[in-house]
Amino acid sequence: MKTLDELKRFYHQVLKPDLRVLEKKRQTVLNQIIFIGAGAFSIAVIFILIFASQVHEAVPFIFFPLIIAAVITAGLGWLITRGYRSDFKMLVIERLVKFVDEDLNYDASGKIKKSEFNASKIFHTKPNVYKGDDLVYGKVGDTQVKFSEVDAKYESGSGKNKSVKQIFKGLFFIGDFNKHFAGQTFVLPDTSEKFLGKIGQAFQEWNISRPDLVKLEDPEFEREFVVYSTDQVEARYILSTSLMKRIVDFKNKTGKKVNLSFVASQVNVAVSFTKRLFEPRLFRTLLDFEPMQEYFEDLQLAVGIVEDLNLNTRIWTKQ
Amino acid sequence: MGLWITLGIVVVIAVFIILMFNTLIGKKNQVNNVFGTIDALLKKRYDLLPKLITTVKEYMKHERGLLEKITELRAKAVSGNLSDDQQVALDNQVSKLLGGIMVAVENYPQLKANENFMHLQRTMNEIEEQISAARRAYNASVTDYNNAVEMFPTNIIAGMMSYRVKKVFEIPEDQRRDIDTEALFNK
Repeated sequence: MKTLDELKRFYHQVLKPDLRVLEKKRQTVLNQIIFIGAGAFSIAVIFILIFASQVHEAVPFIFFPLIIAAVITAGLGWLITRGYRSDFKMLVIERLVKFVDEDLNYDASGKIKKSEFNASKIFHTKPNVYKGDDLVYGKVGDTQVKFSEVDAKYESGSGKNKSVKQIFKGLFFIGDFNKHFAGQTFVLPDTSEKFLGKIGQAFQEWNISRPDLVKLEDPEFEREFVVYSTDQVEARYILSTSLMKRIVDFKNKTGKKVNLSFVASQVNVAVSFTKRLFEPRLFRTLLDFEPMQEYFEDLQLAVGIVEDLNLNTRIWTKQ
Repeated sequence: MGLWITLGIVVVIAVFIILMFNTLIGKKNQVNNVFGTIDALLKKRYDLLPKLITTVKEYMKHERGLLEKITELRAKAVSGNLSDDQQVALDNQVSKLLGGIMVAVENYPQLKANENFMHLQRTMNEIEEQISAARRAYNASVTDYNNAVEMFPTNIIAGMMSYRVKKVFEIPEDQRRDIDTEALFNK
């Protein structure tokens, strides 16, 4: 694991010269957008003024030109920033990935496949709008991993009846687990037991959409998570007493909602984020260290899962 | 009218009794089921032991006594006709001695590098881990069962079915302490 001091050195010695060039580009892009925005809004305001001087009664769609101006600015803005965004990913994120671990690869437009996301079976609803980017893949020590940002939604209805259900948004991690297993085990955030105690546990037992409830002996773990598995013994083989502790520690470290599933000898970890990950910020200078630290910490969080869950301990038959 | 109400109450009570009855049976079977898994895993381990001992014997010169003891215990275990308690006690002893061997391996670099041994060691680790998982599963299902046997209202039905509280696996006192390898080798 790289430390913050190492990152600082890397930032000053390697990243900074290129960041200066990129920073110029950011300013140009930002100026262009401000110019377009100012232009579009000025025209809209002139339109409204002319219109208002002609018609002397209240008109319902008087602010319509402003909306058009906003749409034009956003659309052109997106087109203009595209190049800057891909430069940023190549110069900053890709190099940060290599800095965190030489053996990892980065694909800015790649993502965890929808089929892989569904195969984890963490979420019941299958998404029909599935997006993602910033795929990182490779080996961390002995463990094959891949992770990316994922945004999965389910949209139904149209027009006024349209409803969008956010299934998951955040970091999705898939790693090769260090033990062989055949069944399926799910570790999900506990909602009912936390508030309802024993009665909540009874509800969990009746959850027909999941396999059997597994009651584990670690009280701290049981407070945070509920476990379902197709095999009572195997669930405990996977969730050793030390792994339970590690999962609780990981959850506390991230401070986010964490879902895990153990399917087909792999561990899937879904960490919910509200912010977008590894994206450039247009309105902020690139030469600050703080955003770099944030990208780095988000990366470390994902790569660190290997260490946090002890996946590199290969003392069983799976090598 | 009164008859219907009485009948209704009787049906509801009957349904409750059937539900409790089935829950108890389910919990009892769960205990037996997990005990079966432990049995199967122990057998798997006993099948592996001769292989391990043959591989280790070539290298280990000073631990003959230890190896013979394991072979002897294994023979006893696979001979069958043991009560559950005896089986558990025997299994505890084997675990302890195996721990001793795995520590002693450190003194034999050649053995540690032996591929055959490395594979056996991994398999052994895996089975040990599975056995400990199965024991935890057993304890969890026994606790679940015991709760049903002792708590109201299922305790009434359990009493009628003459279900008794079962014992959970306990780690014997001498295993809670760290394995004293010195003492083991000097035996």
